[in-house]
Amino acid sequence: MTLNLCVLTPNRIFWDSKVKEIILSTNSGQIGILPNHAPIATAVDIGILRICLNDQWLTMALIGGFARIGNNEITILVNDAEKGSDIDPQEAQQALEIAEANLRKAEGKRQTIEANLALRRARTRVEAINVIS
Amino acid sequence: MAMAALRREGRRFAPLISPRPITAVRSSPIVPTHEYEGPIGVRHISTQVVRNRMKSVKNIQKITKAMKMVAASKLRAVQTKAENSRGLWQPFTALLGDLPSVDVKKNVVVTISSDKGLCGGINSTSVKISKGIYKLNSGPEKETKYVILGEKAKAQLIRDSKKDIELIITELQKNPLSYTQVSVLADEILKNVEYDALRIVFNKFHSVVSFVPTVSTVLSPEIVERESESGGKLGELDSYEVEGGETKGEILQNLAEFQFSCVMFNAVLENACSEQGARMSAMDSSSRNAGDMLDRLTLTYNRTRQASITTELIEIISGASALEG
Repeated sequence: MTLNLCVLTPNRIFWDSKVKEIILSTNSGQIGILPNHAPIATAVDIGILRICLNDQWLTMALIGGFARIGNNEITILVNDAEKGSDIDPQEAQQALEIAEANLRKAEGKRQTIEANLALRRARTRVEAINVIS
Repeated sequence: MAMAALRREGRRFAPLISPRPITAVRSSPIVPTHEYEGPIGVRHISTQVVRNRMKSVKNIQKITKAMKMVAASKLRAVQTKAENSRGLWQPFTALLGDLPSVDVKKNVVVTISSDKGLCGGINSTSVKISKGIYKLNSGPEKETKYVILGEKAKAQLIRDSKKDIELIITELQKNPLSYTQVSVLADEILKNVEYDALRIVFNKFHSVVSFVPTVSTVLSPEIVERESESGGKLGELDSYEVEGGETKGEILQNLAEFQFSCVMFNAVLENACSEQGARMSAMDSSSRNAGDMLDRLTLTYNRTRQASITTELIEIISGASALEG
C-alpha cells in the first residue's frame, strides 16, 4: 500500500509520485501520514516535508500552503517548495545570517513581521539540507 | 496603316476608360479624389496616388506580420506557465467543487481583459458574459459588483455600469506575471470587497485558434458551510477532519483565500495566452487582407499606367498627324 503524493506550486508541479510515508509540518505540529490515513484537510506551515520512498528519506522545504489527505491520495498546495538537494548550503547559511541581521534591525510592526517570515524561510532551508546528512 | 491601327487601339481604350471604370468605383471610397477630367472627358486616377496607397498598404502588411511573430513568441513564453498553473486549482475543485449555480446575495464579477487592443473579439466576449451574469443575478435582494482587470473591459463597462464598479486594476502585464503579484492583487480584492461568491470571467486557452470564455466560481467560507450542510459535492468536505489551526472556520477562510488567489493566477495566465493567440490570428488575417488589397491596387496601378501611356501615344500621334496635314 503506497500513498500517491502530489506537491503543487503556482509555477509548476513540484513532485508527483508514490511514497511510503510522509512527515508534514502543520500549524499545530508535525504529523506523520501512513497509508490508509483518515481523510484530513490541514494548513501547512513554513517547514520541512520528509518523504520516505524506497526506504530513503528525502527532505523538502515548503513555504506555507494546504494539504488534503484522502484515501491514499495526498495533495499538497504550497506557495513555494525546494528540494533539499537543490539548496546550496553556503547560500542557505548566508541567507539565514542575513535574515537574522534583518530581524535585529527591523523597526515597526510590518518590518518585524516580514523579517520573521524571512527568517523562518531561511531556517527551513538550512534545516532541509542538514537533515539529509 | 500602323497609325490607323494605333488610332483604333486608342479608340478601343477610350470607351473602356470613359464610363466610370470599375477600379475607380472600388477605390473611390479609399482614394482621396484626385481625379481630373482629361481632354476626351476621360477620368484618370493619377499613378502617383495609387503608388502612395500601395506603399502604405505594404507597410501595414509588414507591421502586421511583425506583430503576429511577436505575439507568437510571447504566446510560447506564457503558454508553459499557464499549463503549469492549471494543476494548481484542480485539487480545489475536487475538494470544494465549482458551483456556478449557487444562489447568493452578493455577487462579485471579476472581469479579466487585456490592456492593449488589436486582439480580436476576446475582450468583447468577456464583457458580454459579465453583463449576462449581472443580469442573471439581479433581483430584489441580490446585488452584483464588478472588479475590472485591464483597460479594455474598463472602457466598455465604465460607460453603462459605472456605479457598480468596485475596483479597477490596469497594467497587469508590465512585469512578467508571477504568483506573488497576483496574490497581492487577490488580497486587495478580498480586503475591499464584500462578497458571497466571486465569479471570475476570463478566456480559457484551449489552443491557438480556440479561446473559450469561462466563468470560475469561488465561494466565501460562510456559503461553503451552508452548502456543505445541504449535501452534494461540498457535503464531502465534512468528512474531512480539519487540523492545523484554531478553528475549522479559520482554516476554511484561509483555504478560500488561497483558492481565490490560485484561481486568479491561472485565470490571468490563461487570459494572457488567449490574448496573444487572438492577436496572432487577427494580425494574420489583416496581413492577408493587406496582401489582397495590394494585389487589387497593383492591377489598378498597371491599368492606370497603361492608360496614361496610351493617352500620351494618342496625343503624340494625333499631334503628328495634324502636323502632316
